[in-house]
Amino acid sequence: MLYREAGQFKSTYAADAAIFPIRQDRIAMAILLAVAFVAVPLLATPYLFSALLIPFLILSLAAVGLNILTGYAGQLSLGAAAFMAVGAFAAYNFVLRVPGLPLLVAFAGGGLVAAGVGILFGLPSLRIRGFYLAVATLAAQFFILWALTKVGWFTNYNPSGVITAQPMAIFGQPIATPPAKYLLVLTIVALMALAAKNMTRGNIGRQWMAIRDMDVAAEVIGIRLMRAKLLAFAVSSFYCGVAGALYAYAYLGTVEPEAYSLDLSFRILFMIIIGGVGTVLGAFLGSAFMILLPLGLSLVVHFLDDTLHLGVASSVASNVELMVFGGLIIVFLIVEPHGLARIWQIGKEKLRLWPFPH
Amino acid sequence: MTPQPPAPAPAPSDEAADARIARIGEVVLAVVNVSLSFGGVKALRDVSFDVREREIRAIIGPNGAGKSSMLNVINGVYQPQEGTIAYRGVQRRGMQPHAAAAAGIARTFQNIALFKGMSVLDNIMTGRTLRMRCGVLAQALWVGAARREELEHRAKVEEIIDFLEIQHIRKTPVGRLAYGLQKRVELARALAAQPTLLLLDEPMAGMNVEEKQDMCRFVLDANEQYGTTIVLIEHDMSVVMDLSDRVVVLDYGRKIGDGSPDDIRHNQDVIDAYLGVARAAA
Amino acid sequence: MVQFFFEVLIGGLLSGIMYSLVALGFVLIYKASGVFNFAQGSLVFFAALTFVGLQEKGLPFAAALVATLGVMIVAGLLIERLVLRPLVNQPPIALFMATIGLSFFIEGLAQLLWGANVRGLDLGLQDEPIEWIASRTGINVSKFDLVAAGIAGVLVTGLALFFNRTRIGRALRAVADDHQAALAVGIPLQQIWAIVWAVAGFVALVAGLLWGARNGVQFALTFVALKALPVLILGGFESVQGAIVGGLIIGASEKLAEVFLGPYVGGGIEGWFPYVLALLFLLVRPEGLFGEKIIRRI
Repeated sequence: MLYREAGQFKSTYAADAAIFPIRQDRIAMAILLAVAFVAVPLLATPYLFSALLIPFLILSLAAVGLNILTGYAGQLSLGAAAFMAVGAFAAYNFVLRVPGLPLLVAFAGGGLVAAGVGILFGLPSLRIRGFYLAVATLAAQFFILWALTKVGWFTNYNPSGVITAQPMAIFGQPIATPPAKYLLVLTIVALMALAAKNMTRGNIGRQWMAIRDMDVAAEVIGIRLMRAKLLAFAVSSFYCGVAGALYAYAYLGTVEPEAYSLDLSFRILFMIIIGGVGTVLGAFLGSAFMILLPLGLSLVVHFLDDTLHLGVASSVASNVELMVFGGLIIVFLIVEPHGLARIWQIGKEKLRLWPFPH
Repeated sequence: MTPQPPAPAPAPSDEAADARIARIGEVVLAVVNVSLSFGGVKALRDVSFDVREREIRAIIGPNGAGKSSMLNVINGVYQPQEGTIAYRGVQRRGMQPHAAAAAGIARTFQNIALFKGMSVLDNIMTGRTLRMRCGVLAQALWVGAARREELEHRAKVEEIIDFLEIQHIRKTPVGRLAYGLQKRVELARALAAQPTLLLLDEPMAGMNVEEKQDMCRFVLDANEQYGTTIVLIEHDMSVVMDLSDRVVVLDYGRKIGDGSPDDIRHNQDVIDAYLGVARAAA
Repeated sequence: MVQFFFEVLIGGLLSGIMYSLVALGFVLIYKASGVFNFAQGSLVFFAALTFVGLQEKGLPFAAALVATLGVMIVAGLLIERLVLRPLVNQPPIALFMATIGLSFFIEGLAQLLWGANVRGLDLGLQDEPIEWIASRTGINVSKFDLVAAGIAGVLVTGLALFFNRTRIGRALRAVADDHQAALAVGIPLQQIWAIVWAVAGFVALVAGLLWGARNGVQFALTFVALKALPVLILGGFESVQGAIVGGLIIGASEKLAEVFLGPYVGGGIEGWFPYVLALLFLLVRPEGLFGEKIIRRI
């Protein structure tokens, strides 16, 4: 009843090609943005910011990056966290060694360095595909983390290997409180997500999807495989690099290689599988899911503990978490391989008919 | 009385046929002594023929004769061991697929090579990829030139969608379409590139009579309206005889016939290898 | 100095055979069902943990061994039934990701059941140099490593013979090539897969026992499995011989690189060297030493 597009006609291709062609979607998005930018900073607690919202946004950005590479371009990557690490360390070094460099430029610089490294490790994709490529990205993951630990210049010869991220400031205004960090992250993520949506709807997005679906045919219609694949690696690594810098500066407060382990790479991959490969929305849904699930699980465990007095150890909770993640991946792949994004779409279609049955 | 198979399209009138013949121009593609082998298997042996501008050339022959391999050589998917291809005067041993695409050669495939994860509209839009110049950054920002370019090509693609009568499925994911419609979308994608040479690999395979009639009409219209030179592989002899200007016959990788459809119909080698004879009911 | 080189080389080769053992589990499943089972490492971990867990509960060695074998076979059958069969129509990449999820699941389950403490595993073999060789050549070869390599070698040879000489082996190869065609000639697909997963479970058990005895039964065991990936790349995903050769090369090169190149760059090369080696190898020969060239027709 509410979600009807009857009466909404498009008379130009521009209108048809819009991101939100249906008026109700536009309204919903406007409300969401208003809530995100205005209501949340006023109402949320510091805990909500630091433990939930900020990591949700940052990891969504990384998931968007990985989705571009794996979901759209079809190049399986197990090294997303390594590119995040490159971005973080590069940003740190920019801020350290270029006095007076604006923070956003440092972040962008971190992203660009990550993009360069991404292109380097993406070169093998010109010859190898599928899970062979996954092994190549594993090489990136292990090598990059080793290099960041061993090469003293990256860490400014810090003996402990754990560097404190410099305090952030934009145009002289310090960004130290949770709401301030949240707004910074939100702005960056929103803009970059919009850019990602535009790219994936446009010519380069189609080229990526063509390569994913049938690269021989893509070549025959004139798509230059090398250029498009390397571009996918570059853009994806840029997104991961910026996410990595934000992860260090706005969330952890430290710049350390261990934070960008193989485990994080797997988590981001899980996010896009559960959220929906090949969609920008999926990255956000998957990230929310991965952030909320441990919380939900620990709540359940605490509840069981309190009411049934089971005396459940904390290790149990983390093991159950592993099992649930793994199990959910399998369930999603069996039941809905296109993830939460498809479930969301199906829900919207049902909403079109509601309250009528068909 | 031996029953005649129904003709797939009304036989062109004499004036139309003369007009077609008059439009055919100079040699635009010359295949010279091409040999292709895979390991020990010789797919093509010393094949030579030419294709004239704006004509419809059919390649026929039994299965395994090397017809698809021939098309693959023409648009650069395979590089022949011997011989040359001369397209628009430029002679070469072989070229890379995207160079062929840039030179104006488009094709469809025997087993449909559409991008199953995308909609019909997006699939056809990929056919325009060579003409879209804007860089990634411009596309990311969706301003000015990138926006204009996308909409301009969208308009062109919609023309082709109208031409092939697939408006009702433009947003459908290609994987969900019936086989016949998928073939039509593949043709649309090839036409979207505004090719000068169109290679069609069994465009009517698996279609019923009605679908074949439609497809024949589209092929003829593409040839007449856009002036596209067409090389097609086809097994349905009535289609070949009615549609094509000249025919090449391959058998075991060798050329055994080359000429007008009438010549081919009466060529004894071709009859022995492929066509067979209609036997009167006893 | 030369003796030291040989020591490192032999040590590397022997540990390489143990990598081959893990890689073998991958090859088996890939050969039979075309699935790259990322969860093989967690199966190794699970097997080792179950064995020591049962021993802790009081079971004697032999009983624990048999019980664990039973558990592994059941686990293999369950995986085939619950994870693989529902996904049989999906592209290989989906199956691969499902096995990644499976690996997490198994790791969590193993630790949930048996706890996460590091445990030792005693097979009755000591990690000492063999007197006989040491006294004659001055090269130290670990008794444990040699016996482990021997066991692994026997297993690998046995499986190679099994695949190439027996009827069931031929059926397995047919299934790996083309499921539909195998069904069409009457090969019982489900039974074959059940056999394969059971054998893979057995291989995981042997690998788990050997690696567990060598390094202790702990979570890091799962990383050993990751090392099997470069082995597979070098050897080809479908070749049992490839798993051996690949394992030898990776084992040897990893140790040699660590000992002789490591000091120049700060050490810790072992972590990435095999992967980079595999990567470079892939650029030259994408299908591995013994793998089949992939041909795509359009």
